[in-house]
Amino acid sequence: MATPVIMPRQGQSVESCILTEWKVNVGDQVAEGDVLAVIETDKASFDLESTASGTVLALFWEADDDVPVLANVAAIGNEGEDIEEFRPEGQGSAPAPAAAAPTPAAPEAAPQATGTPAVPAPVQASGAIQASAGVSPRARRLAHKHGIDPETLPGSGPEGRVIERDVEAAISGRPRLSATAKARSLSGDFETPARGTGLAGMVRSQDLKVPGSVEGAEVTPLKGIRKVIAERMIQSLHTTAQLTLHASFELSRAQAYRKERLDAGQSKVSLNDVIAHAIVKSLGEHPALNAHFLGDRIATFEKVHLGVAVDTPKGLLVPVIRDASEMSIEKISAEVKNLAGACREGTISPDNLSGGSFTLTNLGMLGVETFTPVLNAPEVAILGVGGIVLKPKRTESGEVEYVDTLPLSLTIDHQAVDGAPAARFLQSLVERLENNPGT
Amino acid sequence: MKYDFAVIGAGPAGYVAAKKAAGAGLKTLLVEKKKLGGVCLNEGCVPSKTLLQAAKTYHHAKHGSVFGVTVDGLNFDFPKAHAHKNGVMDKMRDGIAGLMKKYKVDVIEGEAVLQPNRKIVINGEEHEADNILICTGSSPAVPPIPGIDQDHVVDSTGILNTETLPKRLIVVGGGVIGCEFACMYASVDVPVTVLEAMPEICPNLDAEIAATLRTELEKKGVEFQLGSKVEEIGKTSVTYNDGEGSKEIEGDLVLVATGRRPNVSNLGLEDIGLEFSPRGIKVDDRGATNLPGVWAAGDITGRAWLAHAASRMAEVVVNNITGRTDRMRYDAMPAVVYTSPEVAVVGLTKEEAEERGIKTRSGRMPMAINARYIAENPDEGGLCKVVLEKETNRLLGVHMVGGACSEMIFGATAMLEAELREEEIEEIVFPHPTTSEIMKDVFMGVR
Repeated sequence: MATPVIMPRQGQSVESCILTEWKVNVGDQVAEGDVLAVIETDKASFDLESTASGTVLALFWEADDDVPVLANVAAIGNEGEDIEEFRPEGQGSAPAPAAAAPTPAAPEAAPQATGTPAVPAPVQASGAIQASAGVSPRARRLAHKHGIDPETLPGSGPEGRVIERDVEAAISGRPRLSATAKARSLSGDFETPARGTGLAGMVRSQDLKVPGSVEGAEVTPLKGIRKVIAERMIQSLHTTAQLTLHASFELSRAQAYRKERLDAGQSKVSLNDVIAHAIVKSLGEHPALNAHFLGDRIATFEKVHLGVAVDTPKGLLVPVIRDASEMSIEKISAEVKNLAGACREGTISPDNLSGGSFTLTNLGMLGVETFTPVLNAPEVAILGVGGIVLKPKRTESGEVEYVDTLPLSLTIDHQAVDGAPAARFLQSLVERLENNPGT
Repeated sequence: MKYDFAVIGAGPAGYVAAKKAAGAGLKTLLVEKKKLGGVCLNEGCVPSKTLLQAAKTYHHAKHGSVFGVTVDGLNFDFPKAHAHKNGVMDKMRDGIAGLMKKYKVDVIEGEAVLQPNRKIVINGEEHEADNILICTGSSPAVPPIPGIDQDHVVDSTGILNTETLPKRLIVVGGGVIGCEFACMYASVDVPVTVLEAMPEICPNLDAEIAATLRTELEKKGVEFQLGSKVEEIGKTSVTYNDGEGSKEIEGDLVLVATGRRPNVSNLGLEDIGLEFSPRGIKVDDRGATNLPGVWAAGDITGRAWLAHAASRMAEVVVNNITGRTDRMRYDAMPAVVYTSPEVAVVGLTKEEAEERGIKTRSGRMPMAINARYIAENPDEGGLCKVVLEKETNRLLGVHMVGGACSEMIFGATAMLEAELREEEIEEIVFPHPTTSEIMKDVFMGVR
């Protein structure tokens, strides 16, 4: 009896996952725990492991499909076993716009065995096929005269009906292909230029381009985390009024505090932990910066849920330390360590990647002096930490001495917060870091 | 005078461009400092092929016994061969002059010097053109060999004007030009020695094709000293080093054929800011230089070094000037060595293809399997090689040595230009009995 493998639920907030890449083919032997595919939520990416051993009998989705959680993604069993009962509705029968109509999460149960023919469906096809609207007889005659399949043309007639002028357009725009170019273009997905580099503009095989390719560059499709970051960042810049304030604090006390801890046999904390802790404390006094701007209203949070930007091999992730307001610096330090590690290993739960009220980002260790962070909208503030800068300082006696300082850049959404209150928050933060770090 | 199009140099690039542009309605000027037809007609292709045919005719007469033809009192009248050569050149030059007249191209004899803003001074007079094509060709390179400045030391131009046969010819350089003259003189019983610095003659050819050509020329009496560097040219001898030490060889005529250099001097190229080097004027695949309205074609670009390539480059330039998109392609550019037997190649060798990371299938057959070939060339070896791309079965190259294979290489060129695959080529009918059938036989045997 074949066994279905389902799309696991990745945290309570996740309704579907993108299946980025299959790691197995139909017919492969797999053992329980083997990686079948790579899946991604809008926050992180995971390996989908097999929950059964045997032969891969069916893969119900294609790469890049948005698969509802708990839906069947594959069937494992012995060769020859029937898998139709596991086929999710709309997968592999009639042409199905997969992303548009995800199966309601009704997974293991509900044998949707409909006995539909297992014709591979052109899922998310280009939309060129308008079979329902048909082809006009004149269009059909002209198309056949020129060796064109009219069913494959986009129709411009009523309800997408293919009419004569669509066929004419196809004929006039059709480039002449060399024998090799023609054979090659049929063997894969290529873009054919209207004019090639061969005899009188004939398209040669070298003129066929992989769709979307850029000369002299390696092109990778935007997907997964990168796509999410891209959307979030531009949305942030489009919907917020960003203003960045720069300040810096003298490091000596914070460094001394870290050393005292070690000398007293306490746990090691990083400078970033000290800053995170100070942020949480200062936000308690300046709640206006611990808020979300929601267009027609502002949600000011009771507690601080501190997002910490983490650089991972797959891109930027921002895990959230929930309810950080009540935490000691030791607890914050441990949380940051755990969450950042889980992000880098790809084991972070999507639930830990949302719900932040304020974000901390640090590029100081990469030699950056100062930078202007981009808001993690709808949060109204984000603090960027730069690298150590040696600055002259006039002492009380009037002498000038050099001190290590750390630049802080606070970006706020001016829609929700004004410059002065933001400056006051920054002032309070600097004061805390310079005088009472860790408390 | 103001022109739409001015062409500097009336070789196979220049006169082709002038005719085509004038035919398209452009008011066209053609400037030539020597003779219409350029090196090709006056100092290269045409005269050498005429003399080669003279030598070949003598050779056939002398070696016709296998066909039952014997000749008593056989004689080679070299001055008469030269007279025929001169007659052919006159006829061709008249043809070009007539063509220019017919197309109303203004032809000025003189040296052109370029000025900024597409102005040209010729014989002290200033002219102007919307577009200028520079196609001043190339000249034989003069290597720094002691003794090269003697009367009996000639380049390819000088040897074509030498009307007495030497007792012994020494050829410095075993490239295309060196091999052609070696073949010509050996065919008329002049002992010939070729000194080549590389380990094989014609290093641009497929190695097996080059070796076959060398073997055939050796059969004609040409002696090859490979890997030999010339040290000095004396009055009656040439000293060379073949790696084992200096050696001396007697010879009363020395041909230096060590390549050609683009004619970039005295044109004012520096003054107008044109991008060029001693290796040629830099052009893109349309023949455009770095200056708007200034174009270059032929040997002056330092590419191809072939008359037919020059003509094609000129066509590309005129097409682009007159609004037709066109670009130069070198991947189906045939090349020929007019020895006996001839060498004709087009496209990539197996080694070249594999250097570019293309997986290949290939085939080879000796010309001796071809009925027409052995009927006509009983004592001559030959070879045909074909290279296909493994993935697509597309034709990549055809390489031949044997008979008059220059006359059939265009077929392979057309196949390459059309990117034909094995599947299509197999359906092409080759006439029987012709030597060209060897190509089909090799295609059928590709694996």
